[in-house]
Amino acid sequence: MDVDAQDDLAQEHEALIQFVYMAPAGLVQARSDGEIVMINPVAAQLMMPLSHDGSLSNLFTALEEIAPDLRSRLAAFAASQGMVCDGLHLPAPGGAKGERRLFSFSLIKLDDSRIMAMLQDVTWQARRERLLRHQEVWLHAILTGVTDYALISLDAQGCVTEWNESIGRVTGHGDDVVGRSLAVFYPEDAITPERVQDRLHEAEHSGWSLDDGWRLRADGGRFWGSAMIAPQRALAADNPLAAALAADADAAETGYCLIVRDMSAHRDTTEDARRAAVCDHLTGIGNRRAFFDAAEAELRRWRRLSRPLSLLVIDADHFKTTNDTHGHPVGDAVLRHIAHLMGATFRQIDVVARIGGDEFAVLLPAADLASAQGIAERFRGAVETQPAQTDAGPVRCTVSIGIATMDEATADVDALLKRADEALYAAKHLGRNRVCGPAMSVAEPG
Amino acid sequence: MNTHVTLEFSQPELLDPLLALSAAELDTLEFGVIGIGADTVVRDYNALEAKLAGLSKERVIGHPLFTVVAPCMNNFMVAQRFEDTAAAGQALDLTLDYVLTLRMRPVKVKLRLLAGAGAERRFVLVNRKL
Repeated sequence: MDVDAQDDLAQEHEALIQFVYMAPAGLVQARSDGEIVMINPVAAQLMMPLSHDGSLSNLFTALEEIAPDLRSRLAAFAASQGMVCDGLHLPAPGGAKGERRLFSFSLIKLDDSRIMAMLQDVTWQARRERLLRHQEVWLHAILTGVTDYALISLDAQGCVTEWNESIGRVTGHGDDVVGRSLAVFYPEDAITPERVQDRLHEAEHSGWSLDDGWRLRADGGRFWGSAMIAPQRALAADNPLAAALAADADAAETGYCLIVRDMSAHRDTTEDARRAAVCDHLTGIGNRRAFFDAAEAELRRWRRLSRPLSLLVIDADHFKTTNDTHGHPVGDAVLRHIAHLMGATFRQIDVVARIGGDEFAVLLPAADLASAQGIAERFRGAVETQPAQTDAGPVRCTVSIGIATMDEATADVDALLKRADEALYAAKHLGRNRVCGPAMSVAEPG
Repeated sequence: MNTHVTLEFSQPELLDPLLALSAAELDTLEFGVIGIGADTVVRDYNALEAKLAGLSKERVIGHPLFTVVAPCMNNFMVAQRFEDTAAAGQALDLTLDYVLTLRMRPVKVKLRLLAGAGAERRFVLVNRKL
């Protein structure tokens, strides 16, 4: 090779190095055990504040805090190559300034010995998307046909400040509703005083809070509706309709606006779409995604207020034997039966989901360990005494339940789930058909 | 011609002696030197730093450090510290453990961040001899 060609190659090499230096995304190549082989500056910029040992020698170790399950995700990825996770959103601590960040993380398995990761800070994109969604909700609220809607002014505590005709029309309440909490529009087990405060806080914090579900009329009848809460000054700034509403209200400084929409006419279509996204196809209760979404929200609330929060992980005992003996249709009927009993046992505010083949989870807001144990025991008893009605006749089944309660040492949903799983393992180990809490799993050797 | 100077990475009161050195003299130092202005644009980039990073001076000098040359330092541990101390009108002399991605290899280094109170010039010094 002559000198000119060598020089060209060196120039090209340098340009290539700088190209990767400047790439606006974090790129990492590692061995399958996570040991980093190559890493570009943006990856180091994002990962250094996370690395507890101050080194970047292992990808999994460096990301342990925000993605503790990477090793197991990779191990569980059976194919010889491909995308292990694609654009996974990982909340990350913000470092010295304390503002939390959101990272997007992708992991690609190149072959059995090499992996490649991409990391990006998408905090701002996520915020923009949220703003867009906010506007979408407004458009939705205004443009989508609704059977009827009520516009309700709330004070800072979430109590109705005045009666108007729309309240009477949609909910049947007279002016005796003034001074009562917005919980009056919810069925009894669908909201708690704490949750009312959560919704107000969410509205204050992010500009709005929206939930769909059953609403209660004064005569005790239910209708399917959505409730949107927004701080009145935010509404006034955003929207002429709300500005007019806020101008009428007394509590303009600290009050909220609640719009309860009767969605009865549209319930079938919106509910079908919602169910397809968040419900388990077999049992009709929440699916894994719905569980994690709801659990993330509960944990955010927990970090703000540290109210009791417990998690049950429920596993059908000897489910494989049931399947093998009676066949899968009967196994499915047993799972549906368990899901049905869950619906009957737990409150509407509890997050009930099927998170695995024969594994279920229930998140219990406002339940400490003792009350979670009581509820779990009641459910275990219900399953034991009520056989599933199947095509093969009644089939008896039992469940084992592990409990974990949220505390400061528990970093995230995965960690909480892991602790509940450990308690579940103890319950299985002690002979099944029983409930184990954290203390019991510690006491159990092996 | 005596261009060889002996400054140590960890010696105290390093800012003024550094400021007195010419580009050729900076090249003789046994630690990496990146000099930046208050606008974060690179003014000095010594031979050792150029060699280890695999980038020639021409590609680096005149460009903003944290966006074009070393995005890895654009976080609260490095970039923010310069900003915070400048905003407070204080001097900065801080040594910290860090990992640089020299030619995409993670390399453990000690960084020394130097800035005078209200001074136009700041330095990031890089020591690989740990």
